[in-house]
Amino acid sequence: MNMQTMKSRRELLRSFGHMGIAGVSSALYPGWMPRLVFSPRYQNNAPGTRDVLVAIFQRGGMDGLNAVIPFGEGSLYYDRRPTIAIPEPDGSALAAIDLDGHFGLHPALRPLKDVWDAGSLALIHGAGSPDPTRSHFDAMEYMERGTPGDRSTSAGWINRHLLSAAWQNESPFRAVGIGAMVQGSLRGTSPALALQSIADFHLQGRDDQLEVVSRTMAGLYNISAPEDMLGTQASDVFDTVNLLSQMANLDYTPAYGVVYPESDFGAGLRQVAQLIKADVGLEVAAVDIGGWDTHESQGGAEGEFAGLLGDLGQGLAAFYADMQDYMSGVTVVTMSEFGRRVDENASAGTDHGHGNVMMVMGGGATSGMYGRWVGLDSDVLDDGALAVTTDYRDVLSEILIKRLGNSAMDQIFPGYSMNPLNIFQAR
Amino acid sequence: MQQFSRRDMLKLTGLAAVAASNVGWLAKVRAQEGTAQADPSWHVLSRVTWGPMAVDVERIQAIGAEAYIDWQLSPENIPDSGVDEWLSKFDYLAGTARGVYDRAYVDDYVYTVVPWQRIYRAAYSERQLFELMVEFWTDHFNIAAGDSMGEKIVDDREVIRRHALGNFRDLLFASAQSPAMLFYLNNAESVAEHPNENYAREVMELHTLGVNGGYTEADVRAVARALTGWTVADTANGAGSFYFDGSVHDYGEKQILGYVFPAGRGIEDGLQVLDILATHPSTARFIASKLARRFVSDQPPEDLVESAAQIFLNSGGDIRQTMRHILLSPQFAAAQGQKFRRPIDFMVAMLRALRPGLDFGNRPYLVWSLEDLGQLPYNWNPPNGYPDAAGAWLNTNGLLNRWNLALGFPYASEGWWDDISLNLNAVVPHAANANQLVANAVTAILGTPARLPREDFDLLSAFVADDGNPTIPLSEEARADKLPTLIGLLLASPQFQWH
Repeated sequence: MNMQTMKSRRELLRSFGHMGIAGVSSALYPGWMPRLVFSPRYQNNAPGTRDVLVAIFQRGGMDGLNAVIPFGEGSLYYDRRPTIAIPEPDGSALAAIDLDGHFGLHPALRPLKDVWDAGSLALIHGAGSPDPTRSHFDAMEYMERGTPGDRSTSAGWINRHLLSAAWQNESPFRAVGIGAMVQGSLRGTSPALALQSIADFHLQGRDDQLEVVSRTMAGLYNISAPEDMLGTQASDVFDTVNLLSQMANLDYTPAYGVVYPESDFGAGLRQVAQLIKADVGLEVAAVDIGGWDTHESQGGAEGEFAGLLGDLGQGLAAFYADMQDYMSGVTVVTMSEFGRRVDENASAGTDHGHGNVMMVMGGGATSGMYGRWVGLDSDVLDDGALAVTTDYRDVLSEILIKRLGNSAMDQIFPGYSMNPLNIFQAR
Repeated sequence: MQQFSRRDMLKLTGLAAVAASNVGWLAKVRAQEGTAQADPSWHVLSRVTWGPMAVDVERIQAIGAEAYIDWQLSPENIPDSGVDEWLSKFDYLAGTARGVYDRAYVDDYVYTVVPWQRIYRAAYSERQLFELMVEFWTDHFNIAAGDSMGEKIVDDREVIRRHALGNFRDLLFASAQSPAMLFYLNNAESVAEHPNENYAREVMELHTLGVNGGYTEADVRAVARALTGWTVADTANGAGSFYFDGSVHDYGEKQILGYVFPAGRGIEDGLQVLDILATHPSTARFIASKLARRFVSDQPPEDLVESAAQIFLNSGGDIRQTMRHILLSPQFAAAQGQKFRRPIDFMVAMLRALRPGLDFGNRPYLVWSLEDLGQLPYNWNPPNGYPDAAGAWLNTNGLLNRWNLALGFPYASEGWWDDISLNLNAVVPHAANANQLVANAVTAILGTPARLPREDFDLLSAFVADDGNPTIPLSEEARADKLPTLIGLLLASPQFQWH
């Protein structure tokens, strides 16, 4: 199967699909639309006292051993991956990029080397969920709930953070999930917004009926006193449309001539940057990047997996560059439901494993390799995979406490006891 | 291009909402939804069709709910000439597997035709319950078509449609040997030296036992070994059909779910695995709970799941008997209005309410709309299928997209899309005044005026009458001007989102 062809077909369909809608919206923006200054209640009510969190989920189980390569393991790594291993650093374009003499970045992550050199990229190897499941769906669900092995928790970990925070924020943009659905980590009683496209987020209809149609819809959904989940969502639609209509420039231009990758992931990060700069009260954004379930033909320094990493690395680096004047107040963290087996499989891919690499990017982080590396000796592997030596919540809890100002770990991660890695400076 | 430039020039444009603070005047005591009198036959139609049409209402009233369900449970006895005729435009869909693969390989158009025919069949097949079962199993045995739409077309025909109301064991065996599935979950490349566990895991977790169905990681590995060599013949060897390649099979002894598989066997290993899975009590429970979640409610009653699982087990996996049990159960009857329409449910219910003529043009608006709504058919990448429960679908952007589709689509009556023809006068009968027009429209879209609270009715009347007197005669011009948006408002209303 050819990933490239698949993508071009999909994007063909997609580009046609949006032509009519995106094309008209800004040109014919109705003149009567209110352009009020933001109500103070929508602003993060203690500006500058906490970071905005951008939580990135790599769906499918990223092969962390080929993203941040333990080339220093020698044959323990290279013999197990005869066709997909990434060559040791030798300065060439298709070899690992040395970080510390033992680990190296995949060449497709080259844009992140600048962030590493700037001192703002922390890498945590052997991170993951303590639950052993190798089911995508269980592993994702547990990770996003923040309670591995326990499904009885009623909401996602980010939602519980927002609920337990000492401050309030009524902005509909307080928590935003980029995409057609709200991510599991955001689900719960604290409202979260699903947002596909800022430019397209408005009611469509006849010019001469704009006002009466929105008034009638507001009435049909009784948005002034929502009675159920559907009414609440409808009310959020109106709040969101109103706020977005007030954003001075819907055609966002990134700073410093930065160009984001033309992918769903790149577009998602671009919109997060736009929302942060617009100061609409965003506290947490969740962005997904899929396609990591590389059971076959994953490739090495080039190929399918390299393409995925390229999108990830270019997207993150573009965000970092675009946001450089804001990065002291932004933390980006990546996670994936599990890593993959050390052994390459028969299809030149890799099967579900366990330990993985997490990345943290932000002004509050200090570059370095973190976690406890136990190596790839057969006797330390977990069912053929890198063992989990760092609970992913060790990374998240430190972010929550030092950067987001919420120490209510008993509510966000019930039953978990902390082992801080000291990645961050406190604000 | 033409439709869209017309759309630009005409009237589609950004429409911002009135500020929330400005709608205080709307504060009103809202009539309790769902107080509309229980209507058992409407409920049955809402769940065993993709949206009740007048002809369905007449039929169920004539023969009764049980006979109606039994009629729909025997699709082989229901002629479907309209769909057959429409599909004949795409004759390759029914052709040989080789022909389908070749066509999909050279013709990107196929990637649009296939979702389009999915929408069309759901909307216009006489075999409504059958099409709902096809949808259920398409999710259950999910395959993201990606680059292999040809294989998925054959899978849809030979696996899903052939067995949708048949026997689960047959369905499972057909799926396990379907080239589309063998490629999608990588079993086609699984060999003794390096087994690929993808299919082995998902066939237990998602297709049969369920994640808590009692298997271990060791079982996953052993099942992968048992299925080594289950692959797809190359073109020279048999035109892309299932093929057991004994040369790469793992002939060692295996232990699977408590059974010892002796060394030295070939394809029998995999056949026995599927047999064990098909008849396992965990499978009966898992399938029963998923059917009940789809057809009854997001939290199906435990006693119904139990009894349906028993029927499934005792009947040897007879899907028809299991469905009959669920649809005739008191728990089903008590679950009126409890299912939130997924995007495709919503779109198809809209089509059945409006009954537009659907041709096949170059720019199929409905296919793109469904993609915007997040449910393009055969395009869900992970193997668990599009989510069923409301929580996954009920979100801000999804709701806004739905409203925009509802408010825009009735304008097909003005010729906005080349491939859609719509006559609203055939949907909503003429009326003397605004109140009557709203009453007729509510009946057409929601079945009976009782389903819309009085306050909402008044809002719609005020819209039609321009806030004037809704009982004075309505001019033909005003009626034509208001009707498309009136219908759009009803399709976008809360009442239309549940069934």
